[in-house]
Amino acid sequence: MSLLLIVLPLVTSLMLWLPMDVLAKRMIAIVGSSLTFIAALVLPATRVDVRWLPGLEAYFSIDSSGAARTLILVAALMVIPTTVVAGQVLERHKGTFLALLLLMQASLNGLFLAKDLVLYYIFWEATLIPSIIMLGVWGGEKRREAALKYLVYAVTSSFLMLIAILALRPLSGAASYRLADLLVATPQLAPSVQISLFLGFAVAFAVKVPLMPLHMWLPDFHEQNHPSGVADVAGTLYKVGAWGFFAWALPLLPAAAASLSPLMMTLAAITALYAAIIATAQTNLKRFLAYASLSHMGIAGVGVFALNATGLSGAMYLIAAQMASTGGLFLIAGMLYARRGSFEMDDYGGLAKSAPTLAAISMFVLFASIGVPGLSNFPGEFMSLMGAYQAFPVLGVVATLAVIAAGVYGVNMFQRVYQGQETTPVNDVSLFEVLVLVPVVGGILWLGIAPSPQLAQIDAQARLGAQRLSVPVHGEVVPENELLPEPSTVPDTAPEETPAPVPEEDIRERMPDTLASTSWSNLQNLVGGN
Amino acid sequence: MTVAIAAFAPLITLLGALTTGLLGKKLKEPWAGIIASSAVGLAFGLACLAFIGLTQTDSVRVPLWSYLQAGGFNLSLGFVLDRLSVLMMLIITGVGLLIHIYSLGYMHGDVNFSRYFAYLNLFVTAMLILVLADSYLLTFIGWEGVGVCSYLLIGFWYGERVNADAARKAFIVNRVGDVGFLLAMFTCVLAFGTLNITEVGEAARGLESGSTILTVIGLFFLLAAAGKSAQLPLQVWLPDAMAGPTPVSALIHAATMVTAGVYLVARSGALFAQTPQASAAVAWVGALTAIVAAATAFTQTDIKKILAYSTVSQLGYMFVGVGVGAYWAGMFHVFTHAFFKALLFLAAGSVIHAMHEEQDVRNMGGLAKHLPITHLTALTAVLAISGVPLLAGFFSKDAILASAFNSQLVAGYGSHLLYLVLLGGAAMTAFYMFRWYYLVFQGEERFDLETRRKLHESPMVMTLPLMILAFMSVVAGYLGLPEFAFTNRFELWLAPVTETAASFAHPPAIIEWILMTLSIAASLGGLGYAYWVYALKNGEPAKQWAQTLGQFTALANSAFGFDWLYKRIFTRPAEQLAAVSSESDKVVVDDGIRGSLTSVGVLSKMFSVFQSGFVRAYALAILSGVALLIVVVLVAGGGQ
Amino acid sequence: MVPTEYYVALSAIIFTIGALGVLTRRSAIMIFLSVELMLNAANLALVAYARQWSAAGADVALSGQAAVFIILAIAAAEVAVGLGILVAIFRYRASSDVDGLAQVRL
Repeated sequence: MSLLLIVLPLVTSLMLWLPMDVLAKRMIAIVGSSLTFIAALVLPATRVDVRWLPGLEAYFSIDSSGAARTLILVAALMVIPTTVVAGQVLERHKGTFLALLLLMQASLNGLFLAKDLVLYYIFWEATLIPSIIMLGVWGGEKRREAALKYLVYAVTSSFLMLIAILALRPLSGAASYRLADLLVATPQLAPSVQISLFLGFAVAFAVKVPLMPLHMWLPDFHEQNHPSGVADVAGTLYKVGAWGFFAWALPLLPAAAASLSPLMMTLAAITALYAAIIATAQTNLKRFLAYASLSHMGIAGVGVFALNATGLSGAMYLIAAQMASTGGLFLIAGMLYARRGSFEMDDYGGLAKSAPTLAAISMFVLFASIGVPGLSNFPGEFMSLMGAYQAFPVLGVVATLAVIAAGVYGVNMFQRVYQGQETTPVNDVSLFEVLVLVPVVGGILWLGIAPSPQLAQIDAQARLGAQRLSVPVHGEVVPENELLPEPSTVPDTAPEETPAPVPEEDIRERMPDTLASTSWSNLQNLVGGN
Repeated sequence: MTVAIAAFAPLITLLGALTTGLLGKKLKEPWAGIIASSAVGLAFGLACLAFIGLTQTDSVRVPLWSYLQAGGFNLSLGFVLDRLSVLMMLIITGVGLLIHIYSLGYMHGDVNFSRYFAYLNLFVTAMLILVLADSYLLTFIGWEGVGVCSYLLIGFWYGERVNADAARKAFIVNRVGDVGFLLAMFTCVLAFGTLNITEVGEAARGLESGSTILTVIGLFFLLAAAGKSAQLPLQVWLPDAMAGPTPVSALIHAATMVTAGVYLVARSGALFAQTPQASAAVAWVGALTAIVAAATAFTQTDIKKILAYSTVSQLGYMFVGVGVGAYWAGMFHVFTHAFFKALLFLAAGSVIHAMHEEQDVRNMGGLAKHLPITHLTALTAVLAISGVPLLAGFFSKDAILASAFNSQLVAGYGSHLLYLVLLGGAAMTAFYMFRWYYLVFQGEERFDLETRRKLHESPMVMTLPLMILAFMSVVAGYLGLPEFAFTNRFELWLAPVTETAASFAHPPAIIEWILMTLSIAASLGGLGYAYWVYALKNGEPAKQWAQTLGQFTALANSAFGFDWLYKRIFTRPAEQLAAVSSESDKVVVDDGIRGSLTSVGVLSKMFSVFQSGFVRAYALAILSGVALLIVVVLVAGGGQ
Repeated sequence: MVPTEYYVALSAIIFTIGALGVLTRRSAIMIFLSVELMLNAANLALVAYARQWSAAGADVALSGQAAVFIILAIAAAEVAVGLGILVAIFRYRASSDVDGLAQVRL
């Protein structure tokens, strides 16, 4: 049951506030996160739809089918080792951190599950709070600056999204804030209105993707988070910008998406390449990982803005995969820090000699991260880039060049830390660390070898989105649609099954009487006015 | 079903890799090697079974599992066991097995013995996946897999920076090629909606010859193949890759992995046969590489680097073979080259082993009497690669030369000139290979007594593979006798896979005989001239040449400055760009945004003037505000 | 019956006195008293109107009086809290001059 995916971590989190022994808290956190993972793994997809805020026409509407399921599953997998590590390494307030982590998971799951825009926004902001506190309380020396920067970026951009959300229903005259109702109403909006609303969403999502030039909070965020990397893992789970575009902004505002996608994809392609190039020059492990992760997000971005099912599915899969690979690298960085007390790569070197197992696991995860086929990031990266190439070949090529740069930064990092002259020997991985990394390695293999079942889930949702995006709106052909590939050459845009739009009568039935009469006339005015 | 069972081969070697890798140092020395060798041996057995089975049938498909599905694009993984892939399987596992056995002796005493064999088995796994794949995507999985293994093995002795740098270089240059592979796949999907190799081939057959889309795909594949097979302009990584253990150079960087590019073009024969432009590009890239690498090999002094440039040059021949549409001829050279080049490397390894890690040929000489088995087997290989008649290299190289001459596919792109270039290359090959042989095994001994006293022939476990490879270097050629006079079993065997639209002129037999005589003349001429220069004149003419040509020699010595050039136009600018972007990311983007935050701060300072803190001022403001509102309501809202 | 206008006029006068008191006095106690005056002026206006409505027989008549009770309750609470704060400030500064509190601002 989908509600359980929110309630389980939430209840666990609340239990952790009770006064009790730290060891008991750690146990509870581990059990809670494991149960959440099992729930995400075995429970069938269900939906909940309850009238919630009548005045606002917001519903408590959640649905655990589609891409959300994959994202929640991988996130749940990564939360388990994170709780284990956090309970072990944090110097203070272990229980509080664990509670925040699970609180974050609960709201993150809600964010993925929400099928009501208001509910989505609430979860969106709710996820922010724990991550800010994690940074602000457990962070490094300059945590205040980093947290302030992060907060300013997140809150300012979210505010613009809030305005767009609040304007969306009155302008479109949708019956409620539920996705299904919005989907019926919003394509009727005039393109110019759609574009202004889209920009509101786009800024908020671009900050969280993040896309150039709104990415600067990310390196500081990661650099200043707790050296064990636990909060960074939470940060990699919280890569919800691309999800926002995928699940909300693009399907709701197809005309705006079509006209702005070249611009957005340019930003994403530049982000992918630019971040990868910068990553080659980083000497701080955490900043390095931040830029590598940024580059992946750029690739996910080009997949999303390809506006075809291949790119959209690939992007979502890449988001899920990077949770495991980048998250795993942050945990490994934390283990290195525990040995040497530094994130400067120059302080390392030749570690493969004294810590061969750690080196082998690091290399495995690193290769997964730079998209070596057969490991987790490859399917998503491949499909994102392929989708991008189909939509805008030149931008697709630019983003694909990031693959070379990824090779450079990947082997650079490995060489600096593990190869070359041996520095002071360090301990190889302990049994505890191996246990921590087992879910990471398992997840990477699972996501890399058999992506098909998860992709099938994602694809079902992506396909609906892609079809909406290829349908001309507002009775006129949007010129940018010509840039999309011909249906005859690209099979994935061919409408093989038409989406089942909710008939107009149904909506009117669901609407309160007053709204049904007024909003449609409002809409007429608006459309006529433009 | 005997054929399909061979699909388990990659699984077996993967298990071998996992066992040796996970147990690691817990395995006592020979055991890791024995486990790994038996895994490859088992795989070789399966390949033989498949080979026998394929005499009855053309191909067997083994579906694996569904991999990607998105928006109507579905891709299932699967193996195809046809005559081409099983041929490659035989080479990989057969030569692989010999090299595994050889490594038992060569890696004796290395602290990372089991890690070495784990990598080696992993490599065989990836290589098998590469050749067995039925779709480009699975090929790519193996393709990157072998790249990763190559990276691991070149950097096997990572303690020294040079080795780690060489590994890094190989990986990055290969990544450039991989981008070509990715783009080729993207274009395939764009054009045909599939990545299945057979389906792409059929779709390509349906298009007009020379269609732009086919040429684009072909050129992207060429970039990929050039990266993996070290062809111009991506050849720079292979000589450095010699930093790895010598058996690795033999297996990966001579016999198998580097031929993956040739395999890719041969496998995509149906597509390349439809695009003369891309095919001609493949052929010319190969021909130029063959010449440039051969010229470089003249001046090298490292025993392995000479062989490395020789490999690059021979790969160029294979590229010409598949480029002109003679896919069987390219594969035939892959087949024979695997034996004699692996043999040369293993012999070099045996020499290095005997000389205690000495690699400079200037410090060798006269080793023939100290290492009799190594010497004889190496001599066989030198003769074979030089194209001496009746040895393996002669038949395969001649097949490529004749195909280049007769090709209709690239007839418009200078096929006769290709032939002449290759003929010159053949003479050069004979020359530098004899130089290599003479400097190592003949002439005066240029090492000290201490070394001489320790000289010893390698143990049986190393010489046995040498002898088997020498035997194959002699006989392998008889599978593919020229068809104008004999039965070409090799071509017939591959015909179901490599039969394409590419056609060849069939000149009268006399012309073919003349062509063959010319090749023989080139080969013997090269050998004879080298004999004159090095054996009779003690290398004096070579020194004079070097002085006369001056600059050119220096250029050849530095492999025509590609490394120098790339450092200046790619590496350094890229590093600078990275440094500058990294800095500007902090300064411009960050400060820009911080600037906008500051402007908000200024605004807030302005408004904070009103927050004087004097309570009564607030009260006055409230009161006057209310009064103002009342006035406004009374005046403006008076109507209602 | 006394006309409503009289009550409203009285209310306005009291309100003005209160407002002037707030603006001119510096002692926090006196400001407090003035604020109470203003509140009660409003209360007076509210009950006056309530009476007028009930005389007219409207069923909203009681709401004015209800508002007065709410205001009274809030005023009481405010005094309790406010005086508490004042006492604290007085102890700290030995003065109840509000202008001196300007330094408390951010």
